[in-house]
Order: sequence, then structure tokens, then C-alpha cells
Amino acid sequence: MNNLHAKTLDIINLNVTLPNGHRLLRDVSLSLDPGEVRALVGESGAGKSMIGKAVLGILPTGISISQGEILLEGTHLNALTPATRRKTIAQTSALIPQDPLTALNPVRKIGPQITDPLTRIHGWTKARALARTRELLDRVHIRNPDRVLNSYPHELSGGMRQRILIAAAFAPSPRLIVADEPTTALDVTVQKEILRLIRELQRETGTGVLFVTHDMGVVAKISQKVTVLFGGRVVEDAPTHRIFENPEHAYTRALIAATPTPNASTEPFRPVPPALIAELHREIQADDDRFSKRAHR
Amino acid sequence: MTDVMTPPQPALFSIKDLHLSFPDRAHRPLFGTAPRIEVLKGLTLDLPEGRITGIVGESGSGKSTLGRVLVRLLAPDAGQVTFDGKDIGTLDEDALRPLRRDLQMIFQDPMSSLNPRHKVWRIIAQPMKRYRRGGTRADALKALEKVGLPESFADRYPHELSGGQRQRVGIARAIALEPRFILADEIVSGLDVSSQAQVLSLLKTLAKDMGLTVAFISHDLSVIRHLCDDVIVLNHGEIVDSGPVQTVFEHPKSDITKALLDAIPRPEINDSWFD
Repeated sequence: MNNLHAKTLDIINLNVTLPNGHRLLRDVSLSLDPGEVRALVGESGAGKSMIGKAVLGILPTGISISQGEILLEGTHLNALTPATRRKTIAQTSALIPQDPLTALNPVRKIGPQITDPLTRIHGWTKARALARTRELLDRVHIRNPDRVLNSYPHELSGGMRQRILIAAAFAPSPRLIVADEPTTALDVTVQKEILRLIRELQRETGTGVLFVTHDMGVVAKISQKVTVLFGGRVVEDAPTHRIFENPEHAYTRALIAATPTPNASTEPFRPVPPALIAELHREIQADDDRFSKRAHR
Repeated sequence: MTDVMTPPQPALFSIKDLHLSFPDRAHRPLFGTAPRIEVLKGLTLDLPEGRITGIVGESGSGKSTLGRVLVRLLAPDAGQVTFDGKDIGTLDEDALRPLRRDLQMIFQDPMSSLNPRHKVWRIIAQPMKRYRRGGTRADALKALEKVGLPESFADRYPHELSGGQRQRVGIARAIALEPRFILADEIVSGLDVSSQAQVLSLLKTLAKDMGLTVAFISHDLSVIRHLCDDVIVLNHGEIVDSGPVQTVFEHPKSDITKALLDAIPRPEINDSWFD
């Protein structure tokens, strides 16, 4: 299964569709190398979270992949039976969600919530799972691992819970992590620490990360590659330094300009110009017309 | 963009040695009363009339608690809260009622602060009726126009609006009452940058046009830099920095302010940011 030369993730012309035929993702292609962080950026509704959900096989009910291929470590996911697909995804990938409180079971202690997947999915012994969990909790600077393992989620702060989920995600050294706005709910100082942890662990384990965010500031700090999305379409795909130093698409430039900075020199409050949005919508419409012709042929 | 050094304005709010604490239920003994956690530890500050003051700090710094004292959803344990020359800290609900219209609030999550069963125009008109400030559909439409929403939005329900549009309705509801003070608590933290920019420039224009005094609570210093005239930095219930935004941002006195400024990820390549 593990093809050494394969990319961690390869998405080819992915289309994700509502039951009424409306496309949420439109011919999205992107790839991720081992150890690489790719930011998926765009406004609400751009489809950035949907890509991660499609890859992990956790699309909401009714939403499905209508066309396209997802290759995880060289394995065509659509060619697998649902059971094998779930197993493959679970053994190679992990999710760091936006809201750690809803991701953690409120009536179970933290300890088993981290170790269970390690024993059940990865087949580790309990002792090994517990040792690895302690190691990771130490890595995310949790001083008192025994107390934390015996706590319930509500007894911990938001930053603490997010660090626990990062530890849980990295514990099995997955090949792929989808980080879905993992720092949006946090204070800037905690955000910086969390970003640093993700970067450190990801470099150590060689994990590829799809990092979903709407914050161009975070994109600049954490990623090496960027996919800019609008209305479920890829608007620009480029190395991060090029996105900031020489962005090609007007929408990318508008997103960067809309990001507030603490400098007095930058002009405040520049939303994406409505004319640009209208143009992007026209492109999507034209795209949809071509797509429906293709579908009806 | 930032206005020229304005002459010192009389303070609309004047707060002296404000203390506030909550019972610590987690450590309640079997008998007797729970110990108290001090959330605000003797704050002294002024909010000058007609200016936008940013209140910033980390989670748990007491910024929302301070906001809630300003609109008198919470009463202080000790200290003075003077609004327009009146000490409102000790007033009971009956005595506060005539002041309520002057002290309005815009909330973080419009989905839970706008009645989901009411159309937009009723959401705006209902408090107008209560405070005898009109409350007809036409009145609501006027408020909608001020926040840049077309008439067609009057008959929509909150769930039919985008996050930015909902926040505009929240602003319309507050300004329709022609208050003197608005508390805005993290009103753009749930929005993406483009909607954020729209809502903030709207708030700034309205506040300046109507001569409103605004307290803008946020954890985002970049937003405060561009929106506010003054800023107060809170840490564990104490003021660690305050003054005109330009002064505080360019010459932060406290390490807390410096740390908050340093932690902002700016949209530019900087390989040494993590070091």
C-alpha cells in the first residue's frame, strides 16, 4: 500500500455535489508532498473545509463526490470498498478540528479518548498507546499529564483542549493531517504557540498537513503552498512566498489587502471589491454551463 | 484616516476603582458560601464622549465583564460607575429603566441574539416600540437603510442572511434607538476578513456621524488599530496599558501589550516569526 514515491495526497478534478446537483467543489485539483503544509484559504462558503471532509470521508449526509479522484499515499480511495476505505483513511490520516469542545466526548475522560484510537485502529498495546500519549502531551507542553488524562473536557481551558487534540492527532504519526481552522477560536498568543507546535511536530513526523484557514496572516506563517478558493473553485495555487510576494490573481491580492494589520500605514477596511466578486460568479456560471453540457452528453 | 488630535472630550463614562467578583462554584465548600474570584481588580478609566475605545486582552482578562458593567447587566461590588454625571453602579432596575435606551449592545453571535422566528423588520422595530421611539415598519426600514441593507431584507428571517448581514441587523437594532453608548463585544470575530472590513467601516462611519460613544471589545489588535481612537489593555482584571491607539501601539508600556502585538501573524513572509 505504501508507495514510497507517492505523494501524500493527490486530488484530481474533485467535484462535490448537493443532492440537487449544486456543486460545492468544482474541479478541484491539488497535491501534498510528505512533510508539506498546504493552506486552503478563502471566505466562508469557498469550499475549503469541504475538501478536508471529502478527503477524510466525512462529508455531511446528502453531500457526495460526484466526480474526481482522491489518492492517499498513491491509493485510489474510490476504488476501495467503503469498509476498506474507512480503514485506510483512519490508519493514515487525522483531523484537528476547529472547536475542540465539540470534538471531545464531554462524558469521557481525556485519557481513553486519546488512547482508544491507538489501540483500536492502529492495534497498539495499551501500554504503548499510553506511553506515546504521555510523550505527545509532554511535547505540547502539558505539564501535568496524569491530571489531564484523568480530566473531563470541560475542566480544561480552550487552549489546553486544542493542545490535547493536536497531541491526539500526531500520536500515531499519521501521513496526513487535516487541520480545520484549528486556531480561529483562540487568543493570538495561544494561536502562535499552537501554530509553533503543529509546525514542530509536523516537521518531526514528516506529516503532510492540509491547513484550512481564512486568515492570510496564518497562511504566511505556517504553509509552504497555498490553494486560494472561491465558490468551490481553485482561484490560485502557488508556493506561499509567491502568493505574498507576487500574487497572480486579483482575488488573492484582494484577500491579502482585506487582512488587517497593526500597522498604521496600511489602509483600513478594504473588503473584496463587489465587481471582482461579480466577475468570479460569472466565471463560476460559465463553468457550470460547461459542466452540465459535459454531464448531459 | 485617524482624526487629528481632538481636544479632550468630557467623559461620558467615568469609572473609579471598579471591583467585581464572581462566586467560585468549583471550590464551593459543603457548608457556607463559595469563595469569590476577583475578575475586575480596581479599574479606573474614562470613556470620552464621541470616541471609540477598544478594550483588548486575552480570554479571562475581564474585558467582557467590564463591558457588561458599562451597560449595567452586571453591578459592581465596589467603586463608581458614572454615566453622564450619574452614578449608575448602585441604581436598581427601576431607576435604570430610563437609561436603558441610551446603553445599547451588539453581540458576538447574531444567530443567538436575533430572534429566529421574527422577520428582520420586527427585530429592529420591537425595541423601538418598547422605548416609544416609533416602531413602525417604515422606522425599521430607515434603520436598515443606514446599515446599507436594501428594503428587500425587511421580510427575511435571520437564518436567510449571511454572517455579515446579520451583524448589520444587530447594528441597525442598536442605532434605531438613538442611544448615546454602544457596547460591541467581539462583533466581527466570527466573520471572514472581507465581511469584517465591511462591518467595521460601517460601524466607524455610523459612530462618527451619530456622535456615538463606543466600547469595542476585541482580542484582535489589528482591528482595534484601525477602528478605535483609544485603547485599554486588560490583563487578569487590571489595566496594563491605555491611551490613544497610536501611542499604545507605537510605544507599548506593558510586556502584555508587546506580547499581544508580537503574536499577530501579519500577512507577509517572515521566517523568523516563530523564533
